[in-house]
Amino acid sequence: MPRPSAGVLGAAAVLLGTGTSLAGIVWDVQWHVDVGPDTFFTLSHLMLYSGSAIAGLAALAMVLRATFAQRAGRTADPAEGGRTVRVLKFDAPLGYLIAGAGAAMFLLYGLMDLWWHTVYGFDADLGSPPHVALFSSITVTMVGSVIVFGYARDRRWGRIGLVVSLPILMTFSPLMLNALAELPAPFDIEIVSAAFFCTLSMLLAAGITGRPAYAIRVAAVLGAMQLALWFFAPWASHSYASMVNLPLRDGLGDAPPELPSATPMFLLVAAAVGAGVLAYGRRAGMSMRLLPQLAGAVGGLVLAFSLDLQVPLVGNGPLAAPGTLVADALAGLLFGALAGFLAWRFAGLLRGESRKPIAIVVPGPAVQGGLA
Amino acid sequence: MISVRRKLAAVAAAVLVVLLPAAPAAAYEPVNIVHTEQVQAGPYAVTVGFSEWPLRAMQSLDFTFIPAGGIAGKSGRLLLDGPGIDADHADRVLARHPRKLDVWGLDVVSLAKAGGYTIGFRIDGPQGPAEGRTQPLPVLAQPGPPLALSWAICAIPIAGLIVFLVVAWRRARPSANLVPLAD
Repeated sequence: MPRPSAGVLGAAAVLLGTGTSLAGIVWDVQWHVDVGPDTFFTLSHLMLYSGSAIAGLAALAMVLRATFAQRAGRTADPAEGGRTVRVLKFDAPLGYLIAGAGAAMFLLYGLMDLWWHTVYGFDADLGSPPHVALFSSITVTMVGSVIVFGYARDRRWGRIGLVVSLPILMTFSPLMLNALAELPAPFDIEIVSAAFFCTLSMLLAAGITGRPAYAIRVAAVLGAMQLALWFFAPWASHSYASMVNLPLRDGLGDAPPELPSATPMFLLVAAAVGAGVLAYGRRAGMSMRLLPQLAGAVGGLVLAFSLDLQVPLVGNGPLAAPGTLVADALAGLLFGALAGFLAWRFAGLLRGESRKPIAIVVPGPAVQGGLA
Repeated sequence: MISVRRKLAAVAAAVLVVLLPAAPAAAYEPVNIVHTEQVQAGPYAVTVGFSEWPLRAMQSLDFTFIPAGGIAGKSGRLLLDGPGIDADHADRVLARHPRKLDVWGLDVVSLAKAGGYTIGFRIDGPQGPAEGRTQPLPVLAQPGPPLALSWAICAIPIAGLIVFLVVAWRRARPSANLVPLAD
């Protein structure tokens, strides 16, 4: 059996870190719903911290490896995290630079969160500023992971990593999008923002690989992840409560697991429709200036409508009023079109269809090549 | 293979060494009541306890609700009203406090906005159903720096990601050469 390359190991370690962060937060949120009491050192918190630590250390190792390779006169392989960017005296592959920056920010905002709790108490408010900053930092690491695998799209492991790293980001996204919930909008902003983000993610996979079927693969992995977390969340929080001799809260009822029930259950339908539009448009010779927006609009419409249906289906509340359903579907269509537009251009950034060099973070004179 | 196992065992041992000292710190804080208010809900006298006083917006605290004679044989609903209470939290089942199981309560809950809040109870027990509320309790302005400053500092990660995308977009101009679909 051939030894896996350092590129595979680095990318897999960052992915392991992001997956650990996701499982940690799913467990922690369920813990607060089902049990409650909190300390800095609950097992779910430790899992959350170790996720960023694993991803951050892996990213640091890959940056050091690229730096030493560069100094030894070897050219870095762009499939191992992307073209390198000179930051201070390091030559950092772009994907690992972003993943590592997210992990470093997680550490800093962790300190701020500790201070916040001394002023405001040990609140379990997901929407407090330091908590949103911590979730943003994890999101940045997850985006870094997607970039790492995006650059390795020509390798089998790169494509496998892409269809796992994107669903991890998508499952985590409600924590970030939750911060938008208070904004005034003529539609349900949580439903439409989830439809936008998921449409963007699945079309990004299609754009990076150039194959519509990858939208469906991303949706299938997301579904499998949702199913696994659906069982994991209550099992982990109830087992841990039993281990530390704490009772479950009174009056829990039969509410579905908190975070897994926010993941779209009908993404496969939206992905199949979106991929179908892309495949049909390609055969019909449609311009790529229009086709991603069209696929995004249809996917966004299906997703927004199905997310509204999902609320009563999983027992999270009643079906929205007909006016809200129409407003959500229309907003899903418009934001879906925007998601398609953005997905294809972000994919272009990763695929490097333009070879114009780019400077991302340039404290020194040297920039080692383009974004691609 | 053996060396991989040895390395894994070493990593596991290192993790245990780091985590074991943390175990004593995992003890849950007791509920420490520093102020009480009385509510009369029909025949039921309820003592409302607060772990912080005065109350301040966004500052989390423990609440305890103790009917005279204890909670055994009684059930009911907690009725909250005030500027920071949304419809989902205005009326809920009276549940035991997770860290003080002999009384009803709320653990580490904060009130979002400053203003006057009432805490009420609809209790059903041996003396029949009854309802009562506190007088409006003052909740002072939030402690700490202005919220806009906190948000500005905490928006840096996501703002940084957006700036990165904008810079990358401006340099690479991806619209000029869109990704084709493979055959």
